[in-house]
This record gives sequence, C-alpha cells and structure tokens, in this order.
Amino acid sequence: MADWHRVAAEAELKPETPLGIRIGDVQVAVVRLADGIFAINDVCTHEFALLSEGFCEDGKLECPLHQACFDIRTGRALSEPAEMDVATYPTKVENGAVFVQV
Amino acid sequence: MRTVIIGAGQAGRRCAEALRELDAEAGILLLGEEAHPPYDRPPLSKAVLLGTDPGKGLFVRAAEFYAERRIDLRLGTRVAAIHPAARAVETAAGERIGWDHLVLATGARARRLRIPGAEDPRVLTLRTLEDAEALKARLAARPRLAVVGGGLIGLEVAASARQLGCAVSVLEAADRLMARCVPPAISARCAALHRGHGVDLHLSCALRAIEPAPDGGLLLIGDGARIAADLVVAGIGGVPETALAEAAGIAVQDGILTDAQGRTSIPGIFAAGEVARFPHPFWGGRPMRLEAWQVAQTQPAAVARAILGMDAPPDEVPWHWTDQFGWNLQVLGDPDPSLTLVQRAEGEHRLTAIALDTAGRARGAVLINNGRDATPCRRLIAGGKVLDAAALADAGTPLRSFL
Repeated sequence: MADWHRVAAEAELKPETPLGIRIGDVQVAVVRLADGIFAINDVCTHEFALLSEGFCEDGKLECPLHQACFDIRTGRALSEPAEMDVATYPTKVENGAVFVQV
Repeated sequence: MRTVIIGAGQAGRRCAEALRELDAEAGILLLGEEAHPPYDRPPLSKAVLLGTDPGKGLFVRAAEFYAERRIDLRLGTRVAAIHPAARAVETAAGERIGWDHLVLATGARARRLRIPGAEDPRVLTLRTLEDAEALKARLAARPRLAVVGGGLIGLEVAASARQLGCAVSVLEAADRLMARCVPPAISARCAALHRGHGVDLHLSCALRAIEPAPDGGLLLIGDGARIAADLVVAGIGGVPETALAEAAGIAVQDGILTDAQGRTSIPGIFAAGEVARFPHPFWGGRPMRLEAWQVAQTQPAAVARAILGMDAPPDEVPWHWTDQFGWNLQVLGDPDPSLTLVQRAEGEHRLTAIALDTAGRARGAVLINNGRDATPCRRLIAGGKVLDAAALADAGTPLRSFL
C-alpha cells in the first residue's frame, strides 16, 4: 500500500518551479500549477535525466537532455524522443504541507 | 508505391517511420548492412563503453516494431549498385529490387588516421556497436589510452575510459578543444574539466607518427610531445558514405547534394541524415552537412514528406549535445567565436552562454548542465529579438523574461 510522504511546505512550492525529490527508490517531480499541485515520476522514459531539472511551461515539463515533453497533470509523453508516459502520484495539502502518495 | 531506404541507422529508421505515419499504404523496404536493427549512436561512446543502461537511447524501437508497422526490415544486406534508369537497386547477393522512390541513408564512416603506424591493430575508431563493444573489451584491461582528436567523440571516449580507470592522453591539433562547435571560453572550461579528472591534454599537438615502443606498447610522435600508450582511438570526424551515389551519377560534394527536402540531382532519389549536404535555412541557405542526432532525427521526416508530395516541416534551430564526466553540454544555433559571448554562470558547474551578433541578436548558445535553458535559448535564437548584453549577463534574471 502506498504511503503519504511530506515533500515540502506549501509556501516553498513556487508556480511552475519543479521540485525534484527522492522517496525511497522513487524519484518524483512535484509541480504547482494554477489548478493544483501535481506529482509525476521524475525520470525521463527515453534516457536517464531528471525532468525536474527541465523547463516548465503551460502544464508541461521538458526533459533537460533531449527536450521530450510530458504533461504534468497526466504524465503523458507529448513529444519525441519519449514515447512512454511517466507515472503520476496523488498529492494533497494538509496543515500547510504538501504530501505525495508513493 | 514502394520506397526503398538504403541504410538502417537512425536516419533510415526515421524516414521509414515518418513514411508509415503519413501514408498507411506505402510500401517500405529498409535495407541495413549491419546485423542489428536500427540504433542511435550517441550511447556508444558513453553508456555502452561504461556498461551502464542506455535505456531507450540505443535501440529506440523494439525488434517487433518494424513488422507491426509493416516496415520490411532486411538486415545484413549490402547494396552493391543503384540503377537509376531501371529504378532498381542490386544487392551484393545479386538480388534486384525495384523502387518508386529511393532514399540514401548511408551515413558516414569514421575517418582513419593517415600517418605512419596508423595501420597498427591497436589503433581503433568508433562508429558501430561492434566498434564500441570491441573498445569496451580492450578498456577492461585498463590500457594507457591515447585519444587522437579533442572533438566530441574523442572527449567522450576519453572521459569514459578515464571513468573506467584507464590512464588517458588526448592529442588535439588545434589550440583548444571542440573548436568546431564551441567558443574559446567553453573550450577552456572543458579543458579544465578533463585536466581535473586527470586527463593528460596535449593541445596544438598534431600527430606525426605512431611507432612501436621498446616496452611493447606504442609511442605517439606529436608536435612537441611523445606519448606512450597501449591503445589508440582516433576521433577525427566522419567521412560520408557516398560511393553508391557517386557510382550512380548522383551529384556529390563531401556528402550527397540535395535540396532542403533531400532531393538529389536524380529525380526519385533522396538522401537522408548525415550523408546529405543540404541548404540550411539557419545559415542563409548555405549547403551544410551536419553529423548530429538532430539531423538524423528530423531531416529524414522532411524527406518522407517530399516523397509524398508534402511541403517541408518548420525550420529548427540546430542543436547537439555531449556528455563528459557527468557534465551535459548542449550547443544551440551557431555560437561562432567571432560573436559576443554573454555568460550567465550559476555556480561553478552550471552555465548558459549566449552568443550575440553585432546587433545584439542571439545567434547561438552553449549550456553546461543547464538544459532547462534550452527552450528559452532556442526561442531567443529563432525570434531574432535585439537583446541588451548587460541585462542578459545577470543570471538572476530568468531567461524567459527576455522572450
């Protein structure tokens, strides 16, 4: 059963500024968008790179190595060279803290 | 209608994929001389040598992908001749195969040293998966490695070998590293990176000869240096595979000459990927032959569109990258040394450098460990907006505020 993990204070999470975080063996990118806070797997499905180090805009996160784009809300791979989607994780805010379920 | 593609590397694969995507009915035959299904070459000098997982970076498509897409992939097949009048190719085994459109995606081969001693079997090049696996096997014995050529491939091999525990020397004829693709300030940073990891760099050192050494190894005789080694890798560029095209009477000049969508001098015959020399919009239509992943990725799709009578896709800002000692370096556009380089350093290991022309328009950029700036830089370069160099130099101001 997946557990909830506290990843940041809500105030620390600036809009469209991804937070890369490791929870056990899982690397997660947490991003605040206009309609909420979302979490996706941080590792590009093409070659190893952390998406949280990439460019973020319009609800999309771009791999810093080869510019494959992923939808932050759905994890969908949107452009070459990535084809596989990244996993998404539930998030919640409680008492001013952001939690991710992994 | 049947298209035959000669060469099952990245460019051949991309052309086949794009044809299938655009036309469900097209007959597609992809002929490869190598034994493997198509693979991308960037991991060869890095993940493959290091023995780390290249992920989807090597074999981008699973073997069954081709059958699923009705792409007839034939490996181990060498084409011996093209017969343009008969619209056929002839394989080395003597089979004649007809086509309506022919695509030459024959790529390049590694340039070999032409100096005394270069024929020694301990002098290697790196182009294919077999080359990479053979080099990896030799590196396991931790030889003293001498790399000839301080360009991208040479430096990636040097970094990988050093990470595997080999003593590594690099000989470069120019006075700085990667002189063809980055400005001097970036070359200096890369030289410091390599020296910091214990690579013995010899700049302005043209190699004259390779001789047997008394200890059973090799001695490289360069300008002002004599370097002992057990193994040599030459990373001195590629030579386009144009022999088939030349024999068929197709216009060739250090690459197969084509228009912007890959049409050669003979109607119905196209060239795709790094073998093609085509008028590049980024350089005002100057014919360019680029050995880069991006060209093998996108230009073949433009060829597929031309075959189907469709117009060219939008222009792209040229881009390539390299990974050395954990550094990721990306080059966008043309950061020519004659331009003004504005450096936005974020600490010691993170940098975005933007090359401005005399009017203040971004013409190129180099990113060190800063891939998140790639898209803003690409837009600055494509947009042609006049920028204020002093304001741009402040790394505290986000790049997107200049868009």
